[in-house]
Amino acid sequence: MKLLKLEFFKCRHRKILLVCAAVLAVELIWMGAFFTRQDAEDLKWGWMLLLYNLSMVDAIILPISVATLASRNCELEHKGGTWKLLETMAAPGQLYAAKLSWGALVLAVLLIIRSALFLAVGMYQGFQGVIPWGRFGLFTLISWAVSIMVYALQQGLSLRFTNQAAALVCGIAGSFLGILSMLFPPALIRCVPWGYYGLLALVDMDWDAATRITTFSWRWPEGADLILLFLWAAVFLAVGRTLFVRKEV
Amino acid sequence: MNIIETHDLCKQYGNTLRVAHLDLDVPEGSIYGFLGPNGAGKSTTLKMILGLVRPTAGNIKVLGKKMDGANRLSILRQVGSLIESPSYYGHLTGEENLRIIQTLRGVPERNIREVLQIVRLDGQRGKKVAHYSLGMKQRLGLAAALLGYPKLLILDEPTNGLDPAGIQEMRELICELPGRFGMTVVVSSHLLSEIDQMADHVAIIREGELVFQDTLETLHGRSRHHLALRTTNNPVAQAILQEKSVSCREEEGYLILPILTDELAAQLTRLLAERRLGVIRLEERQKSLEDIFLELTGKAASL
Repeated sequence: MKLLKLEFFKCRHRKILLVCAAVLAVELIWMGAFFTRQDAEDLKWGWMLLLYNLSMVDAIILPISVATLASRNCELEHKGGTWKLLETMAAPGQLYAAKLSWGALVLAVLLIIRSALFLAVGMYQGFQGVIPWGRFGLFTLISWAVSIMVYALQQGLSLRFTNQAAALVCGIAGSFLGILSMLFPPALIRCVPWGYYGLLALVDMDWDAATRITTFSWRWPEGADLILLFLWAAVFLAVGRTLFVRKEV
Repeated sequence: MNIIETHDLCKQYGNTLRVAHLDLDVPEGSIYGFLGPNGAGKSTTLKMILGLVRPTAGNIKVLGKKMDGANRLSILRQVGSLIESPSYYGHLTGEENLRIIQTLRGVPERNIREVLQIVRLDGQRGKKVAHYSLGMKQRLGLAAALLGYPKLLILDEPTNGLDPAGIQEMRELICELPGRFGMTVVVSSHLLSEIDQMADHVAIIREGELVFQDTLETLHGRSRHHLALRTTNNPVAQAILQEKSVSCREEEGYLILPILTDELAAQLTRLLAERRLGVIRLEERQKSLEDIFLELTGKAASL
């Protein structure tokens, strides 16, 4: 707990709030631009349309955002050469856990605010039907779980390499693959960590080529995909932690 | 009592043994100078003592306890360190930097002000460390190491990169620590003159091997006087000296003799003249610490 508090203390003046605000702003602008282009027929799908598109926007925005947050948090240690000091007072495993917990908390707050914002947008737009509180809650939880998995990968890279370019390039590639993977067959999406934003979406879209009509329906994530998500996270965590703990400073 | 003891300490990187069978004994209350040319293995050794680098072989005792993964952090609570360059968060102030260490060490908050005063940084405590000069960063590193008033302080090249005034200031700070706080200080350097001005015990390593370990006084004892003689015919002069049972050896055109009594020296010069040998030079010489360092390490005194 002491180490976790210190992570927040160390991140003062690191513009973490600005990064989070930028993520929210980009998502809002993106979704705002999308909804202004929809006609009344499309807008009748309201909440489903919102959550379907939000998972797509997540797949683009969150990988690079998560990479940026992990990099901001880990870079400060590389910059000041602080590992050799910290590791005389705390075990490397504890330092790794504190950094991961910091990321988990920041992402949780960010994604809760994000969901609250879009709930407000939906209510303001007067979307039809009952407000899907439960679906929104689950969507937030899934976005967070996928983001934690990606964060474990990014933290591993940011801790391993002093130069943060490698981690950030990985984040950019993740954003690209995240959206591109939505075009892949499901078996292939499962092999792309960033593809889980789309894979675990709570809304299905069906486009009928003959009638040119798009329909949306609610869906539940498959249990096997949730297990795979957990496995990806476990692998990134185990490899990242082991590499960090074994590294001599 | 020795505050640090290493036995047969080794560290291998690839096929190279960077630290070889090191047996260090650091007496409690001393300023222990750890001397060696760059790349001799000083930092690696100090990092092994702090548990930052895993030894390939051997064992380490700090404060009477054998260091292992389980008790490392509890032992290090009584050890302060400054390894290579100072560690700092440039975007935070000096005081905020020390607050991080204070929280981690669980020491009273008042220690922050006290150590800032000791290193004479209290006037700069609100300034971001990124805007500190190298000397100020180094002093902040020393303040961080002092924060818990440890029994043992390990400083690796603390004067590296400092200007002469900064070196002098750091040296004064280090020298007053054992007397003021009862600390034992291990300070590494590649500069013999620096260790000569600070330490009371010295260890010298060369290519990872310990080549000398004793008091500074003993090291000075090695800088003995001798006579250097140059004549018009050194081989004949050498034979004459041996006739008189005076041991000597030739070195760079001079015959090196032990210190002789005035009477014997006068007798010998007379004898050389009688044998028609001209005495060109007869000098009294003293082997400097630099010469001894050079002999021990095979390198110049400052590399």
